[in-house]
Amino acid sequence: MLKVQLVGENGASARARARKRLAAAVKGLPRALREDLVSGAVGPPPGERPGWLIWQPAIVLVLGLGALLLMIVTVNNLAFGVFRGSGMQLALLLGGAQSLALVVAAFRPVAAWWMAMAVMIAVVVVMELAAVREGRHPWPSGGPTAIMESLVDRGGLYPWTGAGLATQGGVLLLLALRHRFRAAAGALVVTVLVGLMCGAGAVRFGAPLQVSAIGLSTAVLTIAVVVGAALRGRQVARTELVVQEGITEEERARRALLEERNRIARELHDVVAHHMSVISIQAQVAPHLAENPSDALKENLGGIRANAVEALTELRRVLGVLRSEEAPAYGAPEYAGDGTAPHAPQPTLDRLDELVGNVRAAGVTVTTDVTGRQRPLSPGVELSAFRIVQEALSNAMRHAPGARVAVAIAYRSAALTVRVTNTAPDRPVAPSPGAGHGLLGMRERTAMLGGELATGPTPDGGYEVTAILPTGAPAPGPAPSAHPPTDSSEDTTP
Amino acid sequence: MTTPIRVLIADDQVMVRQGFTVLLDAEPGIEVAGQAVDGLDALDKAAELAPDVVLMDIRMPGLDGIEATRRLTEAAGSAVKVLVLTTFDLDEYVYEALRAGASGFLLKDASAAELAQAVRVVAAGDALLAPNITKRLIAEFSRMTAAPRAPLKDRVGELTERETEVLSLIAQGLSNAEIAGRLVVAEQTVKTHVSRILVKLGLRDRTQAAVFAYETGLVRPAGY
Repeated sequence: MLKVQLVGENGASARARARKRLAAAVKGLPRALREDLVSGAVGPPPGERPGWLIWQPAIVLVLGLGALLLMIVTVNNLAFGVFRGSGMQLALLLGGAQSLALVVAAFRPVAAWWMAMAVMIAVVVVMELAAVREGRHPWPSGGPTAIMESLVDRGGLYPWTGAGLATQGGVLLLLALRHRFRAAAGALVVTVLVGLMCGAGAVRFGAPLQVSAIGLSTAVLTIAVVVGAALRGRQVARTELVVQEGITEEERARRALLEERNRIARELHDVVAHHMSVISIQAQVAPHLAENPSDALKENLGGIRANAVEALTELRRVLGVLRSEEAPAYGAPEYAGDGTAPHAPQPTLDRLDELVGNVRAAGVTVTTDVTGRQRPLSPGVELSAFRIVQEALSNAMRHAPGARVAVAIAYRSAALTVRVTNTAPDRPVAPSPGAGHGLLGMRERTAMLGGELATGPTPDGGYEVTAILPTGAPAPGPAPSAHPPTDSSEDTTP
Repeated sequence: MTTPIRVLIADDQVMVRQGFTVLLDAEPGIEVAGQAVDGLDALDKAAELAPDVVLMDIRMPGLDGIEATRRLTEAAGSAVKVLVLTTFDLDEYVYEALRAGASGFLLKDASAAELAQAVRVVAAGDALLAPNITKRLIAEFSRMTAAPRAPLKDRVGELTERETEVLSLIAQGLSNAEIAGRLVVAEQTVKTHVSRILVKLGLRDRTQAAVFAYETGLVRPAGY
């Protein structure tokens, strides 16, 4: 952010607005750094927890081993090597702290970064103090010649040690991985600046100025940050993609549910509309059946007819809306091929044989078993039972080719049980994308009637669908042979 | 009315069949000749009873009303008129029914008077049924952007200028009397024109003439 603004400032030849923005950015810089590098050190990294965190134990192990190695090198350096001068205890303390920073970076990158910074400063201070104590430091009063003559080799990367640079690089990499780019960039800049200051201080004390060392160190640290930031960017993009995919999946499921409900609503309204039109006809017919219909009777029947016609008008409007939601036109063969012609009335259980016959014609072995006192049920139950059998048969054909299918319909006193089972398929089937859609419809239809639906695999590798649909009390009297039952719509409510 | 109009009622719901039978039998000049329970039954009964008009439901098990209508009206030498009766006045239904050869389209909740009137109009064939159906027809055809079929177009050429004029007025839903008024001729002259048009174009009735007029693009729906 800041960088972009700086570039903008340079390129835009000091426009007032750009200046203001820069001023704001500069003013905001301490706050931003404080936010990123102080608050961030305390709390957990903001944002999502990336997926690779499940590897954290392994990462910590690797870091721990690396840290141990670096610690040995550092302690060796501080105690005996070119940095000699500090005592063994101090060497262990600094080396230990520096190595620990690398491990801590896996959990709290910003805190680890502070640790690494502190160790770097401490090493330089200890180094220079030791040099002074041992008289290896030429005081500036000694003049340039003295300085030149008493150069002390402090290693090629001074003010960093090799191990120190590796630690800082690692810490910055982890920081860039876990925190936004602004924080990583800020940390990088601060690291390099502090390194330069330490170097400058050391030079003042007599150490040689090694421009190449500073360049190399800066390059290593920058690469660490860039790599970390790039990995993080990829991770963020992937996480977003996963989130998006999740949303799409959810959206699709919701859509499927709504489409299914829409279809159910359409079918039921359709059935109701047919009943309404029968009522309107019967209300007209009734006066003809009476010997001498009274005016009151005629008026009453006229009222029934008027209400039925009005209700039909409303129903047609509702159906118009429901149909417009439907993808295929009404005349299109919605169920063609699986038992229902486009211009056929809404099916009832009367047409079970026809449905099963169609499935048999497709080469599937289907047995049917109807038990209990067969009677016409309310249109909603009849339609739902038919559709459930239809969906279950269609699922069995799709997911269990070669399996034997058994359809069992049981008329009980207050419920209708529909059970469709199939044996295991005789060959493996690839899961088809349409899976689950049929079950959704069955569930919706059953729930609408206040019934129960159980679906799941059977022990023998097949599948079973059982629906219990409440029918209310059985209608008394012999059933009219014609479909659909026109006298039992009040049975719908359980 | 010397001989009554004989009607066959085809509907899969017994209540509807019985209801319409009672209502139509109560009308003077109309007689219910029989009932059919589905499309195939309707074909059988129509052959057996030779009714003037068949009241046809669309949604029936087995053979649906649209297909039954098509088979009935395509049968050579059949003069039977089909009046489609349905619960839903869907555009697709109207369109399909008329394309299949139906002479009229009515909703099941129509009043007894409307029903009787429709049967008489369809039987007489001198007017188009229900202007709103004509409007729908116009709307439906205007949605079709396909070019008029060539063989149909050729047949328009066989009509005289006057006959073409009459045909376009038929397609606008005008009755013979209205056309006579519009063209300032006698109604009998219009009747002659209409029957010549039907013969020349090989059409069943004025409803089918209207369908023809729209299909050939002879009449362009105004305002679309």
